[in-house]
Amino acid sequence: MSKKDTNFISAREARKISKENNKILKKLDGRLSRKNVPESEYLTTMKDPGNVVEFDDLHTYFFTDVGTVHAVDGVSFNVPAGKTVGIVGESGCGKSVTSLSLMQLLQRPTGQIVSGEIRLNLGDKAYDVAKMPIDAMRNIRGNVVSMIFQEPMTSLNPVFRIGFQLDEVIKLHNTGMSDEEVKQRSIDAIKMVGIPDAEGIYSRYPHELSGGMRQRIVIAMALVCNPRVIIADEPTTALDVTIQAQILELLRKLKGEINASIMLITHDLGVIAEMADYVVVMYAGRVVEKGLANEVFLDPRHPYTIGLMESKPVINKKVDRLYSIPGSVPNPINMPDYCYFRDRCEKCVARCEGKYPPECHVTDTHIVSCWRYFDETKGGTGR
Amino acid sequence: MSEVKEKILNEEDQKISVESGEGASDNVLEVKHLCKYFPIKAGLFGRVVGHVHAVEDVSFTLKRGTTMGLVGESGCGKTTIGKTILDLTPKTSGEVIFNGNVHLDKMSSKELRAFRPKIQIIFQDPYSSLSPRLPVGEIIGEAVREHNLVPPEEFDDYITRIMEACGLHDYQKDRYPHEFSGGQRQRICIARAVALNPDFIVCDEPVSALDVSIQAQIINLLEDLQEKFNLTYLFISHDLSVVQHISDTVGVMYLGNMVEYASKEEIFANPLHPYTQALFSAIPVPDPTIKMNRIILEGSIPSPSNPPSGCKFHTRCRNCKGVCRKMAPRTMDMGNGHTVACHIYDPESGYATEEESKPEE
Amino acid sequence: MSDNTNMNLNTNESGEEQQPMSLDDGRRVKVLSPGMMVFKRFIRNKLAIVGICILVFMFLFSFLGGVISPYRQDQVFHKYDKANKEYAGAVVNTDYRFTAAEGFTLTTMTRANFNSKVKGSEEAEVKFEADDVTYLARKVDDNFYTLSVGEQLGTVTVLGKITDIKSIGDAELSKALKDAATAAVKASATSFEAEGVTYTLTKGAAKSYVINGMKEVAMVSMLNFDAFTSEYDTLARSFAFRKACETAMHAGADSFEVDGTTYRLDIEDETNAVAYLGDTEVVNISNIIVNPVNNGVFLSIDYKAAVAEAIAEKHTTFDFVDENGETVKNTVTMRNNNYVIFTEQATDLIDMYAPPSKEHWLGTDDHGMDVLTRLMYGGRISLMVGFIVMILENLIGIVIGGISGYFGGWVDTMLMRFVDLFNSIPYYPMMIIAGAIMDSFEVNPYVRLYMMMAIMGIMGWTGVARVVRGQILSLREQDFMVATEATGIAVSRRIFRHLVPNVMPLLIVQATMGLGGIILTEATLSFLGLGIKYPLASWGSIINAASNIYVMTYCWFIWIPAGLLIVLTVLGFNFVGDGLRDAFDPKMKR
Repeated sequence: MSKKDTNFISAREARKISKENNKILKKLDGRLSRKNVPESEYLTTMKDPGNVVEFDDLHTYFFTDVGTVHAVDGVSFNVPAGKTVGIVGESGCGKSVTSLSLMQLLQRPTGQIVSGEIRLNLGDKAYDVAKMPIDAMRNIRGNVVSMIFQEPMTSLNPVFRIGFQLDEVIKLHNTGMSDEEVKQRSIDAIKMVGIPDAEGIYSRYPHELSGGMRQRIVIAMALVCNPRVIIADEPTTALDVTIQAQILELLRKLKGEINASIMLITHDLGVIAEMADYVVVMYAGRVVEKGLANEVFLDPRHPYTIGLMESKPVINKKVDRLYSIPGSVPNPINMPDYCYFRDRCEKCVARCEGKYPPECHVTDTHIVSCWRYFDETKGGTGR
Repeated sequence: MSEVKEKILNEEDQKISVESGEGASDNVLEVKHLCKYFPIKAGLFGRVVGHVHAVEDVSFTLKRGTTMGLVGESGCGKTTIGKTILDLTPKTSGEVIFNGNVHLDKMSSKELRAFRPKIQIIFQDPYSSLSPRLPVGEIIGEAVREHNLVPPEEFDDYITRIMEACGLHDYQKDRYPHEFSGGQRQRICIARAVALNPDFIVCDEPVSALDVSIQAQIINLLEDLQEKFNLTYLFISHDLSVVQHISDTVGVMYLGNMVEYASKEEIFANPLHPYTQALFSAIPVPDPTIKMNRIILEGSIPSPSNPPSGCKFHTRCRNCKGVCRKMAPRTMDMGNGHTVACHIYDPESGYATEEESKPEE
Repeated sequence: MSDNTNMNLNTNESGEEQQPMSLDDGRRVKVLSPGMMVFKRFIRNKLAIVGICILVFMFLFSFLGGVISPYRQDQVFHKYDKANKEYAGAVVNTDYRFTAAEGFTLTTMTRANFNSKVKGSEEAEVKFEADDVTYLARKVDDNFYTLSVGEQLGTVTVLGKITDIKSIGDAELSKALKDAATAAVKASATSFEAEGVTYTLTKGAAKSYVINGMKEVAMVSMLNFDAFTSEYDTLARSFAFRKACETAMHAGADSFEVDGTTYRLDIEDETNAVAYLGDTEVVNISNIIVNPVNNGVFLSIDYKAAVAEAIAEKHTTFDFVDENGETVKNTVTMRNNNYVIFTEQATDLIDMYAPPSKEHWLGTDDHGMDVLTRLMYGGRISLMVGFIVMILENLIGIVIGGISGYFGGWVDTMLMRFVDLFNSIPYYPMMIIAGAIMDSFEVNPYVRLYMMMAIMGIMGWTGVARVVRGQILSLREQDFMVATEATGIAVSRRIFRHLVPNVMPLLIVQATMGLGGIILTEATLSFLGLGIKYPLASWGSIINAASNIYVMTYCWFIWIPAGLLIVLTVLGFNFVGDGLRDAFDPKMKR
């Protein structure tokens, strides 16, 4: 080799990046940290009152040492009331960041919502989460929006009893409740997630439970405050297949019982197919395809969605050779303005050389960001 | 040392010629009654108070150029089998025979080291399986140089060739693992194993930590390499769909026991063991229109340190009867090389005649 | 359009790329080098930066400060303190002082007899005998006598009208004497006077008389004669001068003549006077004897004069300008009829516990050494001890921990029990005993320093060994180590190429954090007097000064800065260690 190809950032570049980041972060983080912000500042109205959450052109960036990572770059979709929206995509596509933006649990100060709106319907009013300061967010988290994490081992505190941890969440958001009421509600929640010996589990420690049980407790914890939205971030990825089946069964059952919307984030198309009413496919921080589950699964339009489905081996469906999308997911730094999937796409058309494709409506609910479905007469509704 | 190697190589040549000549079966690996217990130590002096029965009486054979899938949930001992076969953890009892007559446990450490390149392993976690402080070229080439597999002047070319065969680029030789994504790291792991020109590779969940599109790439890569180098895989995974795609034969493990073993076609068309049936039905299918008649298993896997009596699966089995709680099932050959360890298929167990001891709860 | 974007993108690259890069190409996005990543994470930690600043300051202070400092570390500073010390004693002379003429010796008997016979006598002339010599003591004035001895000057032979005078001995008899003697003989007097001198005639053989002259052989007085300069010493001691001078004094004359030289006399009172030759002070006359208190001290005549004057004038204090032109305050007090003169004496003192000043920014310590300089040199030792002990600890710890962790099994068990054994050795008693042994052998401070480092290193490696063992145990189970085994890589290579580089970050962190502890231990030991000994200094031994209640209360400038330096250094090392740990740990976000 003539020259050692290191691909490392030089000290000067790194300094430049840090300097820019500091400037931006100071401004953005300062806004988040404010105290006693009047409610009017983040009050908004829903476009469609039937939605619980509306993501509108959300941009969430991470200002890292190697540059600005456009983790979520213009994501728009709605979470209708009582429905399950599945967000699917590979690691690094921004699906988790989208949900964390809704909770404002982004890694501060590097991760920041830069622009866009996240409208959260509270019934009588709606908040724009993107503009809410951390202070006000505390009342939303766990109460209006709750979260089920991937790792049941680490999402429970090992030194406190299950009951204590459940009670704590209830007390935090229901200050007026008596201790008996709180305990009763905790036990109800444990029963709800299909654990027969609720009283016994109430006084157990997390380590005494198996992974599946723990994940049930985590789900109970998410449900206990009757949230409007539950974010389930890879709720079954860490579990065994048989346990995953149990949990999925439980979630399906709960879907009918509670009136909360579920945002199901997973990379497993099978899980999405079983659970979701709506599907959002994300790639490199952008939504490439969204629509009703049936539409997306039975009639996938975006080459990425198609590739994703074909590359997953399916039981009792014989293929000689798996289809695989060439290349890998790009690192969302310094993205150009053309279709991000272009380099891996085998179905490119001439238009793909141009800008990033706009949103194209296949049906009213099925939207694809691909030039192949661009209809000159209708035009896209994207940018 | 070189003599031993030569001997081994010669034998292989012979066997390959035999295979090609007569089409006779050539078992790269024979596992007979393999057991691996981990002692549970307690107290001040590390007294052994019990054993974790990680692998109990597992037998199978693996033909050259084929892939055996080993499926099971976490804690069922499938990873332990992989490591025990390679003598990375010493086995408790049983026999592991490579190429018909190589017993790793009977080799001196020097001979063993010389034989190592022939049997390789690919790990699940592409992040912890690469030494973070070595450049990729070194990671792949280190053992090649150590065993003098290629002449020094060809070394660079050889590594480049291997890297390209595994979908890596020449320019990445000087990079460090942290600069790579999971899929690429897994390619590096595969390149490291393949560079040693092995006969047999244990693939310990090589795609579980990867994204779907990358999984497909890696699976295709493994298949390509198998074809190219006539490799034999032991493919360990919890993902049945992947196992179904890549394997020729499939073994299903539950709590250290191999409960069912058959060719792929046989086992997927006709799963016999209740656990296998439940396992197959538990897999989510990416098609919202299919509503599967799912068998949901109750509870979770019992602790392998204190396994249930009788059939280990009886605590979760819906077909459980009295005999299942008392007696461990025998492994029954159901024909076509399909073996299953369940009382249902053992006419001598008395299962068929027994009344339902416990009706459905 | 898209080409433009690609071109823009590629400007980030070296520019050699011709083809537009695909988005998933690893070269499209540059990454941080591992070193840069650690550095970035480190500098983002404010405390670590503070720690680095502290440490840089400490190193500059210790290693450069010692060079810049104008003082040596063991340089003792002196001061001239003006203490009111007894300097001289003065007595008003009440004893007679005898001055014999040249060629004459006064025996002790003579003095004794004089004192017993003449003293107190009111008569003008008293005769007494001593050693068969008859002395004639003539009182000239109070406390001023002359002693004369009879002397046969000549014989007078009367032959009718003719008197013949012959001299005895060599002495020429003057004409006046002869005439007076002749007249006296004729008048049959027994004595006569000539030229103011009285002679006696004693009848000898027939018609002959002997002229007896009285020869003055000594004078008795209470006054002292001190020459101002040594060249006049003989003069001041000479009988002739003294007699002439004192006679003049008693006479109240303002000058007198000795051997043809005229001296001016400046009389203060009857007992004090100064004789001048021209304008030069030659001799001081006084009845006061001034003696130094300490042997070997020379009191100048000026000083004596000044003392005498002060006593005479009944002053209790007087200023004296010494030969260096400095004014010295003197105090005169009476004690047992003696005067004691206290002088504000400039004595050569070690400048102990000097408060901060321009010369000594942090004052001086109990040895009179500059505290700031001691701190600088002490810092060298403290830091050096820290580093050497750390290196020693780590060497032993890595080897033992490494062996224990890598081989495991009974080797591990044995070594870890050995570590336990080592840990159960009480540290401080050991150090105290070692210190005591070294004390009793009076070990050279440098040897002592090395010994202490060695002991600390040997006693302290167990922690490192445990950490290294733990790390290696966990690394050994990592897949990449299993992979090295699976690929059949040799043990030595596995250890040195794979294990050691991965333990290094932890070791660096561990060592940095440990340094603070070692410096603290060394300070503790030195504080207890077991560690660094004078003349070497360490921060701990400097604080040791605070064990003295006086120093602790009044000399904050000695021990507070040393304490602060220790606290800051330990904090600095801990901050940096923390920062390094966070920087090396890839799981640490931020």
